[in-house]
Amino acid sequence: MKVLELNNVHKVYNTTHIEVHAVNGVNLDFEEGEFAAIVGPSGSGKTTLLNMIGGLDMPTEGKIVVNSTDLSTLKSSAIIDFRMRNIGFVFQSYNLIPVLTAKENVEFIMNLQKWPRKKKDARTMELLKAVGLADRIDSRPAQLSGGQQQRVAVARALASKPRFILADEPTANLDTKSTETLLDIMEKLNREENITFIFSTHDARVMKKARRVITLEDGKVVSDETR
Amino acid sequence: MITKTAWKNIWRNRVRSLVVIAAITIGIFGGVLAVGVMNGAIDQRINEVLDNEVAHIQLANKEFRANNDLEYSIENVDEIVAAIEENEEVEAVGEHLFVVGMANTARKSSGVNIIGINPEKEKELFGLHNELMPGTGDYFSDPDREELAYIGFDLAKNLNIIRYEINKKVIDELKKAEVPDEVISVINEYSGERFSNERSFKKEMRSALTGKQVSEYGSLILEKAQTFRPRAKFTLTFIDSHNHQTGGVFRVGGIYDIPNSMFESSQVFVREEILRRLVELPDDETHKIIVRLKDIENTKLITGNLKTEYPELEVLNWREIQPDIAMMSEMAEAFYGFFMVIILAALAFGIVNTMLMVVLERTKELGMLTAIGMNKKKVFRMIMTESVFLSLTGGLTGMIVSWIIITITSNQGIKLFSMQEGLEAMGFSAHIYPSITLEFFLIVTVLIIITGILSSVYPALKALKLDPADALRTE
Repeated sequence: MKVLELNNVHKVYNTTHIEVHAVNGVNLDFEEGEFAAIVGPSGSGKTTLLNMIGGLDMPTEGKIVVNSTDLSTLKSSAIIDFRMRNIGFVFQSYNLIPVLTAKENVEFIMNLQKWPRKKKDARTMELLKAVGLADRIDSRPAQLSGGQQQRVAVARALASKPRFILADEPTANLDTKSTETLLDIMEKLNREENITFIFSTHDARVMKKARRVITLEDGKVVSDETR
Repeated sequence: MITKTAWKNIWRNRVRSLVVIAAITIGIFGGVLAVGVMNGAIDQRINEVLDNEVAHIQLANKEFRANNDLEYSIENVDEIVAAIEENEEVEAVGEHLFVVGMANTARKSSGVNIIGINPEKEKELFGLHNELMPGTGDYFSDPDREELAYIGFDLAKNLNIIRYEINKKVIDELKKAEVPDEVISVINEYSGERFSNERSFKKEMRSALTGKQVSEYGSLILEKAQTFRPRAKFTLTFIDSHNHQTGGVFRVGGIYDIPNSMFESSQVFVREEILRRLVELPDDETHKIIVRLKDIENTKLITGNLKTEYPELEVLNWREIQPDIAMMSEMAEAFYGFFMVIILAALAFGIVNTMLMVVLERTKELGMLTAIGMNKKKVFRMIMTESVFLSLTGGLTGMIVSWIIITITSNQGIKLFSMQEGLEAMGFSAHIYPSITLEFFLIVTVLIIITGILSSVYPALKALKLDPADALRTE
């Protein structure tokens, strides 16, 4: 089932009278349960494309349809709500809330969605177990290693059972062992929960794991391989 | 969840939050204490006016206040007093005979107001009899002596009735008060010496002791060295109702000490019948009818009623007689408001500054929160809640600290003896008991909450304007 469609998507930035074409006519479709990587050199438009898919940025031209909803038709408040219900984010620098524990960070989106306590506790424990941090639920981000923090971030992204996860360079700050652990966890969750994962990366280890690799250059798709 | 996160957020930068909270606490405490001290001083002054100087209402001949002339008296006094006494709201009514004259001793003389009173009635009207300095007399209790006068401490000093002497008793008392030996040995050198007035004694002490010793023990030495000759004689001279100079020899029946040096140095109380006889004023005439009410709140109403009933007389209440005190009370209220506005403005700027820094520092995190689905309303609420927590924590700490200090000081008082002379010259006590009403506390607390909320609006709006994609790109 198709969960995401990008039709002739362009993004142009105007920086002091110079137009920068960050994304230049991208057409892509994603099926439910995909484990895809968007790769390319720095400045190729990976993060911009991911931001537009997540509704954080709007295309200057073209259409992005997520679960039959055209994002450009939504008001900004509706987009935030749409993101909360459909999209999970994993960031390069983890971006956990430093004053909250691992458990509280994972619960955060469920709290925003007003989940009942029992259901919320069960889901939090399920996810923290899945990412191998059941024994660190009361640790704050500063008490966790980079790899552990990113695993908490993945658990947070998955908490409200979104349709897909957008991960922007999730392994950029991790060592090899942490990267492998994280990728194994994400792949396992992808299979078990059938959630679509889309990464932007130039990490070869991620590319190796991905079942689809889309290569961007100068804002254009230059290759799209499914393995 | 937002409330819990906001509370945790304010402790993210513990030092900064504590500095802000401490600043708010100190500001509020300073403001409340200053208002409390001022309020206490004014309340004490008003009580002083009501209890010792003016009472609630006074009736006099319309010409009397301008001239203080004997001939401008009230006639048919007994009838008026009896009528006023019938009013249920009135606690006591009395008469004052009022003569301007001179008080003289062999060495000094001083202009005074001589007030003829009925000592027993006076106790119902005023509390001045309670201010009798121990050992200076027994008010008007001695039935064998009619020509007694109750004079103020300052007048006693001016007339050299109070003298200063260093003797064994003084030295013993200073030792008991733990005055250091080096000070006592200097003082001891003056043993047996007598000083006729305060100025010469102070001059001698200043030359013998160091500045620090004078500032620390000067008032105590002065107090202990005071001596008083019981029943000291002095004369009162004045003009009688036939414009003839007259007067009499009086003995000091007691010295009162109140925190108003002007009143102390000018008001001499004698028995009404003696003064009446000396000035030859008819029995049913007097100069002032003094009214003490059961409840001060009724002052305006009763004053109005008396004005209607006695249009031929000047009827004034304490606010009209002492407009400076009434004005001071009103000005103080305006000043409290102004003072609190300054403190709250400082609080507001502190919070705005801190919260702007918070928003700036957490730009990336706020972008992340919006990205994962926290809507703008919730982001706004979170920043607002943080500001309110910050201001409430500081504000309430300030209020609690203020309440504790005000409670302690309102019982023990704050002694401003270094400013005693100046304060007493203006009629204020140097021993101030701060007072704050519960209403004031509640108003300030509400104002702190409102200030916290208002001052958080701008930083919260700044947070709302963040673009999540841009915010996530910041480092």
